[in-house]
Amino acid sequence: MQTARLFVIGVFALLAGCAATGVKYTEMKASVPALKPGEGRIYFYRSASMVGAAIQPEIKLNGVTVGSSVPGGFFFVDRPAGNYEASAATEVERKLTFTLATGETKYVRTYPSFGVTVGRINFELLNAAVAEAQLAPLSHTAPTPSH
Amino acid sequence: MKRLAPALCVALSLAGCASDVARTPARFVPGADQQSAVLRIREPASLTLPTGYARPIKRGSVWRFVGAVPHGDVFQPVGDVYTIVGANAHEAYLVLASGLVVGFYLPGEAAFAPLSDKVRLITE
Repeated sequence: MQTARLFVIGVFALLAGCAATGVKYTEMKASVPALKPGEGRIYFYRSASMVGAAIQPEIKLNGVTVGSSVPGGFFFVDRPAGNYEASAATEVERKLTFTLATGETKYVRTYPSFGVTVGRINFELLNAAVAEAQLAPLSHTAPTPSH
Repeated sequence: MKRLAPALCVALSLAGCASDVARTPARFVPGADQQSAVLRIREPASLTLPTGYARPIKRGSVWRFVGAVPHGDVFQPVGDVYTIVGANAHEAYLVLASGLVVGFYLPGEAAFAPLSDKVRLITE
């Protein structure tokens, strides 16, 4: 019984270590830089949950890695207006296609689901009101620098 | 529990096999500013893709004319985003012809995804 309890505590501790720990969205929001002319902004985020916490694939935008799907984390990238494909691969690749207008901000939620052997990360495009509420408790994770 | 195991395996397998949305390339022609017609939905509706995936149109949602594809006029949601989902997710605008929704324009792919059945929207 004691061993089982220790095991459960150990698993929770391990999963807690998988979560994002950066600055909260609410603390960071005021200091987010203004968009450059001709660009839009894309937020990627994932709610804090133990479910599928170990699944943290890279997120690619038009084939270029921009960050990772981390429980409780968010990041944003600024990109020229145009058409985009976000993707994340585990046992299968999941994608989201969307268009980004000049001055526009898009919000992309990522969330895990489970396949035959491994989980996968799915994408959902949400409006600003819903996304801002979901982003509030999340922590910033640095995006992968673009080259 | 042993009886449930096979069913669980089948369910998990099927969950990973969602069909992708059928779509074809479509040339989009932006509308002129003066043609910015707006649709305000009075009654909710459900739009079903050939994959069986159904997507609701919310009461009170507003859609703005933004252009046309060969299949009809294209309307973008105002103050909201709209997506359709198969194996993957796609931002989508409504395509209407003769007052009926005939499918979706996918702006991120410049493609058209048809509905299995055309749907008449009840607007204000």
